[in-house]
Amino acid sequence: MPSVSQSVRVKVLFFGRLKDIAGSPQESIELPAQANIESLFAYCATRYPELRQYRSSLVASCNQEFASWNTVLHAGDEVAFLPPVSGG
Amino acid sequence: MAIPSTDITLLVHEPIDPVALAAYVRAHEDGAIVIFDGFVRDHSKNRRTLYLEYEAYEPMALAKIQEIAAHLHQQFSIDRVAMVHRLGRLEIGETSVYIAVSAAHRAAAFDACRYAIDSLKRTVPIWKKEHFEDGSVWADGELPPVPSATSAAKPAS
Repeated sequence: MPSVSQSVRVKVLFFGRLKDIAGSPQESIELPAQANIESLFAYCATRYPELRQYRSSLVASCNQEFASWNTVLHAGDEVAFLPPVSGG
Repeated sequence: MAIPSTDITLLVHEPIDPVALAAYVRAHEDGAIVIFDGFVRDHSKNRRTLYLEYEAYEPMALAKIQEIAAHLHQQFSIDRVAMVHRLGRLEIGETSVYIAVSAAHRAAAFDACRYAIDSLKRTVPIWKKEHFEDGSVWADGELPPVPSATSAAKPAS
């Protein structure tokens, strides 16, 4: 049986310049049930307003797979916000 | 996608040993090896580079490198693959990424090696910070393609 809890706790990771802005590489965040990656980002941007300007130039992953912004989150999910990659 | 156990896919924090990797992929049934050796340049956009720092979303980056290796075996008639990316601080001239592909014939080895480095630069979550005399910047990069549907995400395990 799924929990009737009205919230889910997820782990969020920041990389590259996003980590510099957030000031830490990861956080645990409690969100309302049915929250998606877009709303998680919006929440993070309320805490770190400088993040907002990067919304259109980053992608997200959920549980280490690239994920769309409307991916609904579940308890224990690991979400990461990823700037343009520059390995090589 | 599973990759053959003979492939080497690694993220390392120490110097890469290109001689060992090239020797590793070289087998008697092969006739060609193509190598991509990416190393640190001493300048970027007319500024003198002092050193680079690489960071990665390590578990995801390794998984993506392994996906690329698996794809190489599906797409090209190749034998062994070695794909290694270094993380941390790298000095000028040090190898940051090394890809070696062996094959019976050269065309497949060339094509697979080119595909591997192009895919790595586009899809593997690794970032490079360039340090100059007057400051540092995160390098411009490429935005990986992302699925448009929601169903692709797996639940947390």
